Amino acid sequence: MGNVSFNDVRKKYGDIDVLHGIDFEIEDGEFAILVGPSGCGKSTLLRMLAGLEDITHGTISINDKIINDAPPKQRDIAMVFQSYALYPHMTVAQNMGFSMRLAKASKTEIAKRVSEAAEIIGLTDYLERYPRQLSGGQRQRVAMGRAIVRDPTVFLFDEPLSNLDAKLRVQMRAEIKSLQQRLGTTTVYVTHDQVEAMTMADRIVVMNAGIIEQQGPPLELYDNPENIFVAGFIGSPSMNFLPATVVENGLLLPGAQFLAINTDLPLQSSVTMGIRPEHLILDEHGLIAAIKVIEPLGSETLLVVDFNGHAMTLVIKGRITEQPGDTLKIRPLEHAYFLFDPNTGKRL
Amino acid sequence: MNASTEKSNPGHYALIVVLSLLAIGPIYIMIMTSFKSQVDMFSRVPLWLFVPTLDNYAVVLTDNKFDRYMFNSLFVALMSTLLTLAMAGLAAYAIARREFWGRGFITYGNLMVRMVPPAVIAVPVFAIWSRTGFSGQFEELWGLIFFYTALNLPFAIWLLFSFVKQIPVDLEEAAIVDGATPFQVFRLVIFPLMKSGYAVAAIFTFRIAWNEFLIALFLTGRQARTLPVAIQGYLTDEGVEWGRIMAMGSLIVIPSLLITFFAAKQIITGLTAGAVKG
Repeated sequence: MGNVSFNDVRKKYGDIDVLHGIDFEIEDGEFAILVGPSGCGKSTLLRMLAGLEDITHGTISINDKIINDAPPKQRDIAMVFQSYALYPHMTVAQNMGFSMRLAKASKTEIAKRVSEAAEIIGLTDYLERYPRQLSGGQRQRVAMGRAIVRDPTVFLFDEPLSNLDAKLRVQMRAEIKSLQQRLGTTTVYVTHDQVEAMTMADRIVVMNAGIIEQQGPPLELYDNPENIFVAGFIGSPSMNFLPATVVENGLLLPGAQFLAINTDLPLQSSVTMGIRPEHLILDEHGLIAAIKVIEPLGSETLLVVDFNGHAMTLVIKGRITEQPGDTLKIRPLEHAYFLFDPNTGKRL
Repeated sequence: MNASTEKSNPGHYALIVVLSLLAIGPIYIMIMTSFKSQVDMFSRVPLWLFVPTLDNYAVVLTDNKFDRYMFNSLFVALMSTLLTLAMAGLAAYAIARREFWGRGFITYGNLMVRMVPPAVIAVPVFAIWSRTGFSGQFEELWGLIFFYTALNLPFAIWLLFSFVKQIPVDLEEAAIVDGATPFQVFRLVIFPLMKSGYAVAAIFTFRIAWNEFLIALFLTGRQARTLPVAIQGYLTDEGVEWGRIMAMGSLIVIPSLLITFFAAKQIITGLTAGAVKG
């Protein structure tokens, strides 16, 4: 068990700044997910926590002890890699027991811990197999088993599901989450997939271009994004954005369409309006938009519409009879929209 | 059956047969000649049917120095192969994975050393050799071992470098997180995955050390003479003992073949293990 804290952590590769001062804390037993687009620095941060990258500035602590200069093996962490990184020349049991073998544990102790971990991940019958004889999902489990055997203070996961097919990914997502809840081990998990982040995390840390854009529980990020980046990143399909001007009693949207809202922003100021696809509804008194694409998903229908030159996505319950090219009348649910400063991207 | 079988071109087979003949022909002639008597050997019409004789082998094997030559050759080839592999593996790993000053130059400059023909370096090597004062069987053999090791290292490093490059860095990082020291990472993770690379390198280095003639002729005295050098003992003032040369040549091939078969088995095992696929 342990807490993890990052204090003004920076990383430079030569003259290039990759991380610009990261500050956050993960509480004991918490499942924290670092999420962000490729190149945002999330994996670098995880590798710094693992001890695989030097820390240019700032401190990282585990259980209130600064571990900047400690080698990985003294950090009491276990890591699951994107490629699983299973040793191909070792059996499942040898893979799982490798860290204990290095720690010079007795053979009986290793066998005991390996069989306990194998039980947890359901691989008891596969202990004598080699990684090449396992399916993708099983390999993934072995990688987790290898981490479990160590009984570490912190689990680190670096995009562990990205090599799996969509169906298996959903299954493993649930397995990892329930495993973490069962073991109660503090977990730091890196992914670029916001659905993974939303479904698994106790807390999400959204990163972009080397900084933290926002952090908090998944639904808080969904309900109260602090800026355009988080608003667009969290939620699937992603939020729609429209340029607008504040006028009396409402907003003037593209095509001079008027949307009545209550706002105390100064008149004539430019804003960006954000609205989630699921918060747009069909309404006879709504704004006019032309259907471009219809994606029937069965229980719901995904529509891409053209709103005066701006593509917007909406998700509606059930099915529709209209065809591409037809027009629809849509409106946002009350209080379900967000207004952002178009220059700073901050929420207004 | 399948498309590739149907489309096979007879020309390909013809080419394979010609190439095989070119490769096997000289060895066939050597082995056949080694079983011929002096008379059959010099018959005006090449003889395909003859009464085989073991006389040539008897003479070669009963020469009381043959054991020593064989020992010298084996000792030199095996020890230099072991030394080369031990050093090349570590060097290749360091070049592939560690950042250090001059790494780029070493990676490619290293191979340039191998471009120089051994005959060219024979003279400078002899100059160094004469200063070391190596004398006696084992000192000379060790000298030869060091020379062959130096000769083979660049190629072996280059070869193993490409094998290390194929091993995902993730495996090393996983081992580091698991608590391995740098040397444990090499010994327990990298080394087992490089087995097929070592096998290929072993075939090349052993073969070169085993067959090398020129430098061994320059540097070794009677006691440390190796088999290829010993062969020229059959070029005498009275004539060339072709039968004995061929018999000794055939015997020389055997250890080389055994090593190659043994190593080739490792290569195949390595390949089928799909070792380095993350």
